[in-house]
Amino acid sequence: MLFTESTLVFIALNGVFAFSFYAVLVAGQLSLAQAGFAGIAGFTAATLTPPPAQWGPIPTLLFAMVVGMLVGAVTAVILGLPTMKLRGVYLAIATLGFAEAIRIFLLNSEWTGGAQGMSVPKTLTPVVAWVVLALVTYWFARQSRSRYGRALEAIREDELAARSIGINVGGHRLSAFVAAGVLAGLYGVMWAYYVRLVAPEDFGFSTAIDGLVTAVVGGTANFFGPILGSGFQTMLPEIQRTIGIEAGWIRPFISGLLLLLVILYLPGGIASLIPRRRQKVDIASLQTDAAGLSLRAHPTAGEVVAELKDLAKEYGGVHAVRGVNLTVRSGEVVGLIGPNGAGKTTLVNMISGLIPPSSGSATVLGVPIGRTPVHRIAAAGVTRTFQHSKLFNRLTALENVLIGAHVVAKPTFLRRLIWLPSARRDEHTALTHAARCLDRVGLLDKANTLAKGLSYGDQRRLEIARALAADPSLLILDEPAAGMNHVEADGLSELIRSLAADGLTIIFIEHNVGMVLDTCDHIIVLNFGEVLADGTPADIAADERVIEAYLGAADDGETDAHEADVAAAATPTKAAEENDD
Amino acid sequence: MLQQLLNGLFLGSIYALFAIGLTLVFGILDRLNLAHPSVFAASAFVGIWMTEAFDLPLWLVLIAVFAFGAIMGLLIERIAFRPLRERPDAHFAGLISSIAMAGMIVALLQAVFGPNTRRFPVGTIPEDALQFGDLTASWLQIIILAVSLGLMIALSILVQRSSLGRSMRAVAENPTAARVLGVNVEGVTATTFAISTALGAVAGVLFALNVNSAQLGMGSAIELKGLAVIIVGGMGSLSGSLVGGLILGIAEVFAIQYIGSSWRDLIAFALLFVILLVRPEGLFGKRKVREV
Amino acid sequence: MTEPLLSVQDLSVSYGRVHAVRGVSFDVAAGTLVTLVGANGAGKSSIINAVSGIVRPSGGKILFDGADITKTKSHRLVPKGLVQVPEGRQILATMTIAENLQMGARTHGAGSGAAIDEMYQRFPVLGERRRLAAGSLSGGEQQMLAIARAMLARPKLILMDEPSMGLAPKIVNEVFAVIDEVLADGTTVLLVEQNARRALQAATEGHILQNGEIVRSGVSETLLADDEIIQAYLGTGRAKE
Repeated sequence: MLFTESTLVFIALNGVFAFSFYAVLVAGQLSLAQAGFAGIAGFTAATLTPPPAQWGPIPTLLFAMVVGMLVGAVTAVILGLPTMKLRGVYLAIATLGFAEAIRIFLLNSEWTGGAQGMSVPKTLTPVVAWVVLALVTYWFARQSRSRYGRALEAIREDELAARSIGINVGGHRLSAFVAAGVLAGLYGVMWAYYVRLVAPEDFGFSTAIDGLVTAVVGGTANFFGPILGSGFQTMLPEIQRTIGIEAGWIRPFISGLLLLLVILYLPGGIASLIPRRRQKVDIASLQTDAAGLSLRAHPTAGEVVAELKDLAKEYGGVHAVRGVNLTVRSGEVVGLIGPNGAGKTTLVNMISGLIPPSSGSATVLGVPIGRTPVHRIAAAGVTRTFQHSKLFNRLTALENVLIGAHVVAKPTFLRRLIWLPSARRDEHTALTHAARCLDRVGLLDKANTLAKGLSYGDQRRLEIARALAADPSLLILDEPAAGMNHVEADGLSELIRSLAADGLTIIFIEHNVGMVLDTCDHIIVLNFGEVLADGTPADIAADERVIEAYLGAADDGETDAHEADVAAAATPTKAAEENDD
Repeated sequence: MLQQLLNGLFLGSIYALFAIGLTLVFGILDRLNLAHPSVFAASAFVGIWMTEAFDLPLWLVLIAVFAFGAIMGLLIERIAFRPLRERPDAHFAGLISSIAMAGMIVALLQAVFGPNTRRFPVGTIPEDALQFGDLTASWLQIIILAVSLGLMIALSILVQRSSLGRSMRAVAENPTAARVLGVNVEGVTATTFAISTALGAVAGVLFALNVNSAQLGMGSAIELKGLAVIIVGGMGSLSGSLVGGLILGIAEVFAIQYIGSSWRDLIAFALLFVILLVRPEGLFGKRKVREV
Repeated sequence: MTEPLLSVQDLSVSYGRVHAVRGVSFDVAAGTLVTLVGANGAGKSSIINAVSGIVRPSGGKILFDGADITKTKSHRLVPKGLVQVPEGRQILATMTIAENLQMGARTHGAGSGAAIDEMYQRFPVLGERRRLAAGSLSGGEQQMLAIARAMLARPKLILMDEPSMGLAPKIVNEVFAVIDEVLADGTTVLLVEQNARRALQAATEGHILQNGEIVRSGVSETLLADDEIIQAYLGTGRAKE
């Protein structure tokens, strides 16, 4: 018989354990500490919980589970805080080490009974196990379309982009970690109260790997992935036994082989076989009201938006930016040009809070940069795009922009858990807002296309749409026209001017000098980290030093034509000189 | 105490040899090969078998096992890493696929050699020791140290001075640049893998000689220590693995002396944690570990 | 009539379901500079990568110096005299300039010392900084390094992918001056560029790409003078309102 009581219970238990990996995998973190959380939670609960005779089996179990979840949470915080800055393989190894350390600690402690472990009364029934699994599944099902769930996905796809959108990455990662701790603790307790014996070796390296394998085989593409994985992993040995495969080595061999096949040919796990329901918008039913969005107050035209005083950055002797003084006023379109290595991107990285200055100061929208983390500067109203597209590639255009609205949208997760209608309304408002941002850049008809499937030019536009979704006061674009031909660049130029007409302040870095001269009110030329020139396009085009350092001789017909036009508007005689070259 | 230091050095040289293979692959390919420890275990069994079945002298066994390790490396690279190269989640997928291969290799080991511990036939392991004043060093320990250090030095010379080494460094630095320079990136990758697992294989036999046993679980047991060593030393740094391995070996020996053997395994993780918090790129590492 | 050095026939390149290049055909005669221009995403880099063996074509044929190189991988093409200067320079930043050049000369080992010295003469900045890490060079200097490195392999054909990318107009002039020198040496050049005007000014012949297909071809003077092309690709610039 295939479905014994123990099989049923183990499917549920392994499912819960797999969810503890899922919780961090959706945020892009690979943590292997869950076995350790489970171990210490199991032992602690078994020690602190009175015998079932005292309160009855179900209350005792509930008490033990609560203890286990708390212990798991606390342990997760203890591990999560110091490892907050670690990524990828380093995080995996650190967490694995932590779990092993816990195991050794448990092994060598008196109160746990050492290697022998502790005996625990069997109180868990299949019903309880499956109820718990159902609740956990429900939690994650509601999470995936909430603002919180989307933020986690954003962190997984591109952490830096998530940060610049205003998502508090550290806080979110820690909360995912704690969720993993709670779930692993729950698993540890349930395991103890079913297997009747809890011993340190049950929570070692191989358990950790098993949990990871289950989560991966099930897949993180959909919220029910862990259940599929658990079902598969638990049933596999049973099936093997039923068809007569007994030898001790064949089962692990087949498990390994299947894992290999899954990762090679079905990377999203079994769950990826079921296509994910994307968030779609019905274009026809766009509303006009913005109730439900926490839109910000924008500075009035002419007000100072950014003030830089002697801002400088050096890296071990190399002065990337030296003593830059700059004032940017609301409503301006500011172009930042200069040769490669002139410090443009470094300057912009400082303004958006990505790197701290070495000296000098700057205030952007009232916030002092340097001490302020990136996501707070974003929350103050600064958003940016990057030189190399940092879109959330595996999400649709609409989903990308929806995440971009993080700081202005209302949190919905907790309300979604209890199905409050106001949550649904707020989600709808956010969707409408996202659709409007897409429309602004002309991408509404591609709302449901995956970001990686868009053409290059459309991808650049999508980045701008995503940046707009945060309702910024200051928009920074890093080489937005890179790779565009004239027709596309002209279109972009028009878009920028129309955004400025709506009240946005825009700073952009560009190499396409013609476009910069065309689009900007105010141009700054950087050279070797210093401001070489600061003025109107006419000033810049005529400036000898700029021509000498950057524009070069008149071989480049484009710049010539622009210089001619612009200079002609300023001084007729200069135009004649220019055209002689 | 000097004796302890010496013992630690011998133990550490095995850790270093094991770790250097891991760090080599990480340096060139930016991937962690978690099947490395299973080759470590497999080679121990294969080494014992060769000694039993063919009565080979030790030095020949080491060479044969080196070749065995190289072949395993080529297989692992071809099956578990190459197909994943272009994927966006390549790092993660590579971890999983190498875990899968490790599981398969250990299962096959069990199939061929059975689940029990194996030992070298009596008389394989040299018994004598040398005396230097107060210090004793057994011939075995000296052989282990000599082979480990010898291989590590040879690797270092290969990487720094040879044409293959330059190609390896070019691929590590920028595979596209290497390609346009005419470097056969796939070939260099496979060769690097083969060298790394070959070193791990030799480490496996040396380890088995040291404790005169081979067990199915020996790979997992050393895996975490190897990871600790490469992080402490710096991922991708060859000298880092050497130094890290020696430090670990010495620290463990002293720990057993002063704290007790049951807590010995914690040393590796304590070191690991301290380094990750204080200097995550490791003692000799150059890579950026933290996010901007 | 002499055979062209490079002949691309009905080339197609796809990445999964995306058809980057569809049935493109053109020839490059020895000693000339042919340029492929077009917007980003038009397929230019894919063509270059297919020719240099980095990417496998999904259809068509490529003939170089009489041999069929459609399926040949890049590391075998370098010794045959086909070298690429890739997009974004792709130098070995932590290795020294000297080591970068040595890597370039590896396929013609003997006499590489003299050849490298010649490069130092030609590009004094590389000579001055030869022991420094290549990453310390500016963008324009890195481009010079990438070109010098390619020339050391003594190629018959150099493929250049967007050499002006990210460089100041003044530096772009210098780079194109070097390209002219390369041509004067007798090396054939296939140039892919976004800066259509500069590329056509330097080239003998040009092809305009759009959505993976060639939409116009011709001698470059003709293309430069063509109003339609100027409108669509070269632009005239407008004075700001």
